[in-house]
Amino acid sequence: MSASTMAGSPGQTETRAIKRSPYPGWFFTPAAIVYTVLFLAPTFASLYFSLTRWTLFDATFIGLDNFAQFLREPFLIKGLINTVIYAVVTSGLKVVVGLLLAVMLTSQIVARGYLRSVIFFPVLVSTVGVGITFTVLMHPTQGMINEGLAIFGITGPGWLTDPNLALYSVALVDVWKGVGLATVIYIAGLVAIPRDYYEAARIDGATPWQNFWYVTLPLCRPATSTVITLSFIGGLRTFDLIWAMTKGGPGFASDTIASVIYKQYQAGFYGLSTAGNVVLFILIAVLVVPLTMFLNRKQGHE
Amino acid sequence: MAGLELKQLRKNYGKVEVIKGIDLTIEHGEFVVFVGPSGCGKSTLLRMIAGLEDISGGELRIGDKVVNAVEPRDRGIAMVFQSYALYPHMTVYDNVGFGLKLARTPKEVRDQKIREAARILQMEHLLDRKPSQLSGGQRQRVAIGRAIVRQPEVFLFDEPLSNLDAALRVDMRMEISKLHNDLGATMIYVTHDQVEAMTLADKIVVLDGGVVQQVGAPIELYQRPANLFVAGFIGSPKMNFVSVSADSVSGDIATVSGPDVVGVPVTLPSRKVAPGDKLTLGVRPHDLVVAASGSIVGRVGLVERLGNETIVNLELPSGASWLAVLEGDQALKRGESLALDVDPAKALLFDDAGQAIPR
Amino acid sequence: MKKRASIIGGAAAIAATFVVFVIPFIFIVLMAFKDRQQSALRDFSWPTGFHLWENVFEVVKTRNWMMITAFINSSIITVVSVTLLVIFAAMVGYVLARRRTRWNGLIEFLILAGLMVPPAVVPTIWLLQGLKLFGTLHGMILVEVAYNLPFSIILYRAFVSTIPRDLDEAAIIDGARPLDVFFRVVLPLLWPVTVTNIVVQSVGIFNDFTNPLYYLPGNANATVQLTLYNFQSQFSTAYNLLFTNILLITIPPLLVFLFFNRQIVAGMTAGAVKG
Repeated sequence: MSASTMAGSPGQTETRAIKRSPYPGWFFTPAAIVYTVLFLAPTFASLYFSLTRWTLFDATFIGLDNFAQFLREPFLIKGLINTVIYAVVTSGLKVVVGLLLAVMLTSQIVARGYLRSVIFFPVLVSTVGVGITFTVLMHPTQGMINEGLAIFGITGPGWLTDPNLALYSVALVDVWKGVGLATVIYIAGLVAIPRDYYEAARIDGATPWQNFWYVTLPLCRPATSTVITLSFIGGLRTFDLIWAMTKGGPGFASDTIASVIYKQYQAGFYGLSTAGNVVLFILIAVLVVPLTMFLNRKQGHE
Repeated sequence: MAGLELKQLRKNYGKVEVIKGIDLTIEHGEFVVFVGPSGCGKSTLLRMIAGLEDISGGELRIGDKVVNAVEPRDRGIAMVFQSYALYPHMTVYDNVGFGLKLARTPKEVRDQKIREAARILQMEHLLDRKPSQLSGGQRQRVAIGRAIVRQPEVFLFDEPLSNLDAALRVDMRMEISKLHNDLGATMIYVTHDQVEAMTLADKIVVLDGGVVQQVGAPIELYQRPANLFVAGFIGSPKMNFVSVSADSVSGDIATVSGPDVVGVPVTLPSRKVAPGDKLTLGVRPHDLVVAASGSIVGRVGLVERLGNETIVNLELPSGASWLAVLEGDQALKRGESLALDVDPAKALLFDDAGQAIPR
Repeated sequence: MKKRASIIGGAAAIAATFVVFVIPFIFIVLMAFKDRQQSALRDFSWPTGFHLWENVFEVVKTRNWMMITAFINSSIITVVSVTLLVIFAAMVGYVLARRRTRWNGLIEFLILAGLMVPPAVVPTIWLLQGLKLFGTLHGMILVEVAYNLPFSIILYRAFVSTIPRDLDEAAIIDGARPLDVFFRVVLPLLWPVTVTNIVVQSVGIFNDFTNPLYYLPGNANATVQLTLYNFQSQFSTAYNLLFTNILLITIPPLLVFLFFNRQIVAGMTAGAVKG
């Protein structure tokens, strides 16, 4: 019996066993129905309705007019730019501050439990509550922040009333609320780095700074990639904090696409609002897909 | 009474064929070991018998029933996994009794069967523990206990000892052997360890590349391997090979020579070679003896002196490396020339397709 | 030497985080204790009297006990959506991790899309109206389930793939039918990730503001986040009441945080190490 004589074509004596898989396919059904009806169907419908003037009862096809309007109206363009600025600022700060806090919290510092809890807790608090609280704290004359700065002789700015500053102030509050999540993600990434690398680096005579730069930073890249992706998508989609704090104001100074979508919806411009959705979707796709590809490609090299 | 019969059994994943038509008969009560290198298809074949893998073609009978499309629970089999696969959230008692519970066996019967299995395996004191509180050997016992309570016609073992340390492995090997004697059930056992195969099996099935290479009793496989693969796989250390061609055939003796050896006689009553045939000569390291006039001459390389025997690496003229296990202590020096001889009755010849030339 | 540095560093860190992270919460609590006049100053001062209970009572009874209705609505939405999420996601995560079919790629793509693509709000409203679910708790619950399924599924799938497949196979050999394998063997082992799912999704859905804003207009089915948002304009001069409201809706997440800190962190960092 040699291999060559045995290697006949497969399935000559086909007796297909029809056994049921032990993993029932119908387990997908409930989730699939809810997800398809309430998420996928509206998403596909939005592609059509974004090309219409729409009253919910009837839709008039107007081609790309809604999108043209998005690129024409200065306040809509402003919203587009603000969205990107907001996402970049918040995710950038969360990466830097989150990593620093995580490095601090994984070192031999006292009161680690307290620090970790205090930094993380805002993640769980109502965004509206946080927004309202900081609106009060950031009041230009009666807010606690400026009153506190006055003690040191600093005249605080109009955090939310200065059109040049409002967006960044909201972003700052976003970082305050969200940095705890970035921190715990980084902590999980840092404790997963085997101690051997640090010991090897120490034998090679690395300074703490070199340790951080050549060991910690490259090895916690998966965490960095998670933090960036999560907070960047979150930043692009952000609505509740902005709405609770400035409603896009003053003027249109802190409008983002999400707040524009809501405003157009309130005003009854359903087609335009839906076009805003599509624009946001395209923006996310255009920015996030290359970003994750970049982050993952770098990982593959290590 | 359940023997097994495999007829042209096949398995393919898409276009990749992993089991290429296997014919095999297993008698009731036999202890059969599937052995082969990793990726040879032995585990897949076992899982096809268990019903965990679909059969792509051919026919599988257990007892006198074709079971290709029968659910595992109705095949009269039980299986012991390499990882033991004990349910972590159940006690040992519940682990062993899970199958009976699923079969809605009355509680008293169940209890009696579980305790009986525990008695056989001497693990009565473990019944209330969770698997995480057991040692590797104890887990192995529970896994076997779970198989016993099903009172299967056929036991299937998938490399059950490979997660145990060496000493425990020897103990468990003996216990499985004893279990086979006591229960008298058919057992099919998969391993890549040829020592396990040699010691446990009534019948060994050597697999490679999804094809049966040889079926036979352990000693038969050792003494009369069917081809180069089996010759190389069974026996430790590995058999030495060298290319030769036949010089002459006279009487029961064929004489072969090659670049590395000159005039080695091989007993061959069948005379199935002709002068000039391209052949491969195979000699087991244990069959080599030192002889000043020996026909196999090489330079001594690494020497391992174990006291009762001496393992010598020998470099042949062509650069090929042979191993010789010599009796007693031999004070050999690296680099010196050594001549060896082999009993003509123990040397084997293979044709250029790798098949053994029958004696 | 090292020890002292760590204590000094620790003290600095404690002070800094106290100012940045703790003082805002103390501010909320202090405001909730003040009377209307003092709270109007919006400063960081000790309350002149203990007015918490009056404030709570006033907040709760405002607009015809709106707060009570809202708490009930939020609880219903949270409990029911999380229950459905856990059941649906466990089922999908299990089969997705175990069964290799040509659909897996598509399903995984749809799950990732669900994490990235912003929901198309107005078409959803249009659809809910067609189904007579717009403005109802049922509709809201289904929307929360749909939007949060991808995250739950990912958690479950990742966890299921850490459970050895041998266990399923051992159960199958033991005579388990497909539902036995899931309910008797796999599901009990999924308990840790189920707790994580419950905790993380509860907090998220309880705190959700955007979706109720769109899908639950009007007062009848308002949630706590919506009432807080509406109170903002109503209480624009009564900061004590506004902050009492904030304090009240911070209590549920605080309780969750105290009891399930570990599970939350585990859930939210899932996948961070693997990338």
